[in-house]
Amino acid sequence: MTTETVVRLDGVRKEYGGTAALDGVSLEIRRGEAVAVMGPSGCGKSTLLNMIAGLDRPSAGEVTVHGERLDLMNETRLALFRRHHLGMIFQFFNLLDDLSALDNVALAAQLTGSSAATARRRALELFDELGIAGRRDVYPAALSGGERQRVAVARALMNRPALLLADEPTGALDSKAGEQVMDLLIDLNQIGQTLLIVTHDERLAHRCASRLVELADGRIARESALDRV
Amino acid sequence: MSAVWAAARAAIRRRKLQTFVIGLVVLLCTTTTVVSLALLDATSAPFDRAFAEQRGAHAVAVYDPAVVTGTRLAAAKSGVESAAGPFGQVVLDPENDPGPLLRGQITVVGRADPGGEVDRLDLWRGRWPSAPGEIVLNETRMDDPIGLQITDDMKTVQAGGVTLTVVGWAYSLSATADAWVTPEQMTALRPTGTQMLYRFSGDVSTREAIEQRLAGVTAGLPGQALLAARPYQVIKEEMAESAGVYLALLGAFGVLGLLVAVIIVGNVVSGAVVSGFRHIGVLKSVGFTPRQVVAVYLTMVTVPAMVGAVTGTALGSLAAQPLVADTFRDLGLGQDAGVRIWVLAAGLIGVPGLVLLAALLPATRAHRLSAAEAISAGSSPRRGRGLRIQRALSGTRLPRSVSLGLGLPFARPARTALTMASLLLGVTTVTFATGLSESILRVAALSAEAGGNVGVVSRPPGLGEGTQRTPAEVEAMLRAIPGTAQVGVAARKDVVILGHSEPVEFGFVRGDVAAMGYERQLLEGRWLSGPGEVVAPVQLLNARGLKVGDTLTADLDGARLSLTVVGAMYEGLPGPSDGLIAAWRDLDGLSKDDFYYMVQLRDGADMEGYLAAVRAADPGLDAWDNTGDDELTVIVTGSSALFAVLLAAVAALGVLNTVALNVQDRRRDLGMLKSIGMTPRQVIAMLVTSMAALGVLGGLIGIPVGMAAHRIVVPAAADAVKLTLPDYVLRVWEPGTLALMVLSGVLIAVLGALLPARSAARLTIARVLHNE
Ligand SMILES: Nc1ncnc2c1ncn2[C@@H]1O[C@H](COP(=O)(O)OP(=O)(O)O)[C@@H](O)[C@H]1O
Ligand SMILES: [Mg+2]
Repeated sequence: MTTETVVRLDGVRKEYGGTAALDGVSLEIRRGEAVAVMGPSGCGKSTLLNMIAGLDRPSAGEVTVHGERLDLMNETRLALFRRHHLGMIFQFFNLLDDLSALDNVALAAQLTGSSAATARRRALELFDELGIAGRRDVYPAALSGGERQRVAVARALMNRPALLLADEPTGALDSKAGEQVMDLLIDLNQIGQTLLIVTHDERLAHRCASRLVELADGRIARESALDRV
Repeated sequence: MSAVWAAARAAIRRRKLQTFVIGLVVLLCTTTTVVSLALLDATSAPFDRAFAEQRGAHAVAVYDPAVVTGTRLAAAKSGVESAAGPFGQVVLDPENDPGPLLRGQITVVGRADPGGEVDRLDLWRGRWPSAPGEIVLNETRMDDPIGLQITDDMKTVQAGGVTLTVVGWAYSLSATADAWVTPEQMTALRPTGTQMLYRFSGDVSTREAIEQRLAGVTAGLPGQALLAARPYQVIKEEMAESAGVYLALLGAFGVLGLLVAVIIVGNVVSGAVVSGFRHIGVLKSVGFTPRQVVAVYLTMVTVPAMVGAVTGTALGSLAAQPLVADTFRDLGLGQDAGVRIWVLAAGLIGVPGLVLLAALLPATRAHRLSAAEAISAGSSPRRGRGLRIQRALSGTRLPRSVSLGLGLPFARPARTALTMASLLLGVTTVTFATGLSESILRVAALSAEAGGNVGVVSRPPGLGEGTQRTPAEVEAMLRAIPGTAQVGVAARKDVVILGHSEPVEFGFVRGDVAAMGYERQLLEGRWLSGPGEVVAPVQLLNARGLKVGDTLTADLDGARLSLTVVGAMYEGLPGPSDGLIAAWRDLDGLSKDDFYYMVQLRDGADMEGYLAAVRAADPGLDAWDNTGDDELTVIVTGSSALFAVLLAAVAALGVLNTVALNVQDRRRDLGMLKSIGMTPRQVIAMLVTSMAALGVLGGLIGIPVGMAAHRIVVPAAADAVKLTLPDYVLRVWEPGTLALMVLSGVLIAVLGALLPARSAARLTIARVLHNE
């Protein structure tokens, strides 16, 4: 196993109108790791994810992902960076309602300039791998929650990201669908995908992650290695 | 009620942009409405309005003082609502040259004061005569320095053995006299007539009606008492002729402005309510009654609308004031007329009322909607065409941000239709306004161009020695002066036409007359091509019962001459003649004062220098600048430009509103697109594309509509004042302008989309991605 660092946070602080959502967070994630972030609601988990995804800027501190300083990039560079190196999945899927499942996934490659045909081909491969090939032409409104989340995972994987970020990926799913998504994430990590999962769900953390980071009031309260069950 | 207020206040605060847009659109629309209505009001019946203000005389009657006494006249009142008089009246022939405004004989009336029940004069300069030896002249208001200079230079009138000092200037719309003196002075001048001014009760709409009323008054008087009487329609028709077409065209603008204002306000306001459906659902789920929800929405819309309406009314009346005042002054209607109260009321009450109505329709739909339906209004699964189009687009070779943008309008067809409507209106308006002002410019240019920009005549008698050159020599000399582009010569002569009781004025022309704008003035037929032909102003043809194709027999210097009318003109020749135009021939008995020379200068030639050169070349010639910029034209083109800009701005705001709403309820989608790597530039490209596509479409549909409107409205407006416009005035479209018009649609769309698109690109959407 390589020990190359994919994410490094150094004294990251994020304030919203004077109050700190993150306060002095330093964290490192190495290639191939699966890290779970846990903590009570409002402790800053999503904020942490946003820092790493370059969706928002730290008020202080350094954010280095895949060897690049995100805190120093402008919006356009950040977008290009996300496009090529990051994949994100959310609790509420965030699919475009008026695109079919397949087109939603293909979109991620089309933004990088791939032709529609190439993008759809790659998307179909992922649909096959994720076991949703039969749902390719269905629109999000007609998909079940679990299916939607798998489409979202497919989309996140389109550009073979160095890091996959997931914010409560099972939070909106029933337990069976949650299991399936969980298995999917474990499989992905097993074939080398670096993962950062924010979750409420202890079971999910213990099953998927090799390391647990606990946040409280915007600070890292505890870090521990996990033995996956 | 306080819950409603609180919810409305919160909603206003949360939707600053939308609130701002509503306020601004209402402001611009109110401004447009107020200006439109003020113009419509001023132009629809300017004469009637000024006439009412002056309490103009329905009839001006002159009686023979030898037959009937003033006392008897004052007592004859059957059917009379109010009367003024008896005033002594005399016709004088000034012995001195009193100045440029008085020509030939003048009618002088003795009046003790300018007020009274009828014909309230506008004493706009100086004072009323208070003693014998003083006189006030009748002239329209002239506030400009040149006008005041002219009036300053007119100091005395000498006539009938007395010298009358000019002490003031007054204006009588009813043209009851050329000048007024005190009654004592009138007695001294020995009046030859007694003037009575009448306002009648009952029907006064036609000349016949006035004659009947007058007959009622004179019934009890001796048979020969009435010497002459003039109904007010005579004056009214004269006025209408001079400014009619401008008024009609301005009126067209007014109607258009009103229409567009109504539609766009409705559009933006109902858009605001429709986009609030989700919010409505939340309110209902919290326990707001349907009535309260409607109240929240009406409050939300009314607050910015009121602010906009008040500001817009103020701005509109400020903008309309000079337009209205100038229009009136230019029509010779004297008294400054302001924007009337009802126009202001329409802006202050009418526009907000309209806004309420526009909001009420969708708000009542929200009223019926169940909470669940309303909440899901934004996110229900879509089906059908929109999705098919998206699919087709996603397979194209276009950059993905562009193809996504092209698909956006199909996602919300109702909102797209609203946007389309405002774009269409915008483009139609810009097209129509451009065409209209071009037509107006051309109407003005027709008169200005025809006759060249320099007029030349032999010095009139009394103003020095006239030219010694023959007309041919003058023409040759003018052609030789540097700066001359074209020269035309016209010889004026009254010609007897067999079968017509009065002789007709002819202008015999040669040189470049046809090319100097006259050919463009043709309404019908063609220009002269030989000696047996004439063309004539259409008014003359109508007055004499002639038409193109008719043949006349003229008696010219003793010879019988057969002439065919081959063309009808918009106007006659300037200077010498409003009569028939015929090809040049050498005529007997003309003096050098009967020739008029018109010169068109080369572009960029120095006018002053040229005039000096003409005078230097032949001191017997008088040359003057004939360009005379028509103030009314400036007003009309100015206001048409104002309308076009206002309405284009309103259309752009409509687009801005749509994009802002789209951004608002597609925040999540935008956030997601950004999270998977859409750059700010791509976000802007996507949103701008979505509107530019509509802009192109709006251009392609709106332009023909605007052109058609122009083609229908302009001739109709002219027709309303019994004018026919030459083709040159109507064919204003050129490929270049049309291309610009298409661009205007795109420009309106892009400008409207840019602002919200940019703010969407900058939006930090991190939060919506994780929650909701
Ligand atoms: N965009 C924002 N503006 C203001 N406050 C925010 C924003 N995003 C997060 N916060 C605040 O920061 C804190 C941490 O939020 P978040 O990271 O979303 O917590 P969670 O751990 O539940 O994901 C919360 O108090 C939240 O209200
Ligand atoms: Mg969160």
